[in-house]
Amino acid sequence: MAGVTQLLAGVARLIPGLDVESLRCAIRDEYSTVAMEPERGFHFHTGRRLARILGYEEAWLANVPEPSIASFAGTGNPFSLGAPRPGERVVDVGSGAGIDSLIAASMVGSTGYVVGVDMTPAMLEKARASAAEAGFDNIEFCHGFAEELPVPDEWADVVISNGVLNLFPDKTVGLGEMARILKPGARLQIGDILVQKAVPEGAKRDIDLWKG
Amino acid sequence: MTVIAAGFVDFEITWRAEVFGGAPQASSAAQFGTVGINFRARKPRDPDEWTAALSTLSCNTRSH
Repeated sequence: MAGVTQLLAGVARLIPGLDVESLRCAIRDEYSTVAMEPERGFHFHTGRRLARILGYEEAWLANVPEPSIASFAGTGNPFSLGAPRPGERVVDVGSGAGIDSLIAASMVGSTGYVVGVDMTPAMLEKARASAAEAGFDNIEFCHGFAEELPVPDEWADVVISNGVLNLFPDKTVGLGEMARILKPGARLQIGDILVQKAVPEGAKRDIDLWKG
Repeated sequence: MTVIAAGFVDFEITWRAEVFGGAPQASSAAQFGTVGINFRARKPRDPDEWTAALSTLSCNTRSH
């Protein structure tokens, strides 16, 4: 047990002094702009060009309305790790404008179901409009935070997320929530970022750095 | 380590690539070598499976 205690002492927890509410506001502002003005230009790529960079297949995008593609701002490709199967339940944490949720909804078909969760109202509005436009009835988008997902215990077969985990103030709590909603033996498939150089303690509380 | 500590097993990074190059704005985080990744993991089938995964990560520390 001592080994476990030592291990847990080394994991990513909430950074002392980090203003979580200010961080959430800053992230919400940034991604509201991505939702409403995707052509503005950011420190990351967006849209169809980004989807190509990340290896999204054109066929996956066939049923995704253009507004959701335009506001895509992921950093990886959860589907490269395996497609959700027909009939499965998928949760997309930080679903943004809905591109990954809509792709998953096509993959699981009418017997499956997808829940997208996001904390940015402008993104939720865009995702819901795309789901309605494309005629999906096996998907819903909910307001929520990664640290408190609005999904029952052991509901999901797959949890996906793309470019969002790095924005969690407490990675262990957010990942623990993902574990809570997955069935035993079920899959976590994540696109995110890796920081290859050590970040100084002071910089970890710099909200501008979190955003970009 | 964080992924397994949070309750998963079979953690694996399957892909990493520079995904920010050529973006319209410069990234202040680029100085830390940020790259895009894909990773997967699995929720254990029972608590024993998770405990076993944790034990493979723990290490002995020498006291001085």
